[in-house]
Amino acid sequence: MTATSAGVEGPPPEADELLALLRRVVGARVGGHPDAEDLVQEAYLRVLAASDRIDPGMTEAYAVTTARNLVASHWRQGDRFKRHQHRLVDLDEPDDPVRRMEGIEDQGAMARALATFTDDERELLVAHEVHGTPTAKLAAEQNSTAGAVAAKLHRLRARLRVEYLLAHENIDLPSDECRPVLVAVSLRDRRRQRETKAENHRLRCEVCQDLALRLEQQEPERDDFARIRIAVDADIVTARQKARELASALGFPGVDLTVIATAVSEMTRNIVRFAGEGQVEIELVNGEAPGRRGVQVIVRDAGPGIPDIEAAMRDGYSTYHGLGLGLPGARRLMDDFELVTADGRGTTITMTKWQQGAKK
Amino acid sequence: MSTGPALFSILRQGQYLVASVHTALDDSQMLRLQGDLVEEVGRSRSRGIIIDVAALDVLDSFGTKTLGAIAEMARLRGATTVIVGIQPDVAFAMVQLGMGTGAVATALDLEEGLAFLDDTLALPSTVRHGQ
Ligand SMILES: [Zn+2]
Repeated sequence: MTATSAGVEGPPPEADELLALLRRVVGARVGGHPDAEDLVQEAYLRVLAASDRIDPGMTEAYAVTTARNLVASHWRQGDRFKRHQHRLVDLDEPDDPVRRMEGIEDQGAMARALATFTDDERELLVAHEVHGTPTAKLAAEQNSTAGAVAAKLHRLRARLRVEYLLAHENIDLPSDECRPVLVAVSLRDRRRQRETKAENHRLRCEVCQDLALRLEQQEPERDDFARIRIAVDADIVTARQKARELASALGFPGVDLTVIATAVSEMTRNIVRFAGEGQVEIELVNGEAPGRRGVQVIVRDAGPGIPDIEAAMRDGYSTYHGLGLGLPGARRLMDDFELVTADGRGTTITMTKWQQGAKK
Repeated sequence: MSTGPALFSILRQGQYLVASVHTALDDSQMLRLQGDLVEEVGRSRSRGIIIDVAALDVLDSFGTKTLGAIAEMARLRGATTVIVGIQPDVAFAMVQLGMGTGAVATALDLEEGLAFLDDTLALPSTVRHGQ
């Protein structure tokens, strides 16, 4: 895929060319992986750092090799991360804007975002994210534990993602409720999202709905979670097949897989028919009883909403009304079923199928 | 004749049409099946239609309604429809969902479907081979 061959004499490539080359090399190996751009930037910095040691004309070859090595070691780290996930608190989050402070994106926005933090918080973020000071060292300096520092960094990074986005887009949040909701979304913390009534707020607040969707898009790929944009017929099939695939990883019997797929099919169709556009999230979740797992499906749109939920939940309603088609059926198919709707603001349906028998 | 890249096929078998669904269909594709079948009934002057849905992953409200609509349109054009191959899992989910094929005839598999059409239409059972 390297269009430029190594060893060609001539002036060193311009930054743009070099970045384009690195993007091709990294892209060919990791595709649209969320870390791709970080790897590109990292490789770029290494090439710049070594520029006085590289023979003229060899810059591109050096860049390609550096990028390949980075990708390889990134995968090794990925493996290690997966194996020790349960023990590690100090998660690297390389998709962070701070990591990209050198060179790309909006430096001014980053400065404005950092200005919303206290001096201590800012120092901590910069020390770890920019200078790479390990959490253990930071903990020693602060008379704290590595775990506590890591947890704090995790929260700060989530806040920084929000503040950076707001600064970059020049957005003033319309209410006091907005920021906690966005931070909860950025943290990917379900409990906080419940506490801040994030689902409800997102239905009422267009600004937050838009920002939250974008924050969620920054999530790395996971094998226990999928988010699928729903806009056309074919997306319905994609969604129900993905739900089946995730559920089968939990060992659900075939009949339950079909039941889940059918419920997903019904609810995502409402988006295509009446809201035009929306999304479905499918996640493997833990139940209250230890070891009990389930498939949770969250179907969300910003369409017209369902004016009369009670009527919509009755069988026969859909014969006469479009909105809320198939709700009673889907509720019967799943174990838990929850619907939040606001007139003119959209609908969110959260439904879960649990392993081993329904609790009806 | 077949339509599209192997989403479904419609074959003439004596006086019957046998439509086989090969994979999961989205709504537009279900409607294409409907359009093609109803058209083919007229072209081939078929008296009976068998729709084999064994390969369908899901029969949700739209799929079920579309099958009902095909049967009704075919009836208006003088043909009887029978659905075959509904899988046990799919049948269970349909019942939970509150959808049934209602007035549309169903049979276990292709062979039973052919037998049903033979009986219903009281044709000589010459078409009952060939699977
Ligand atoms: Zn808001």
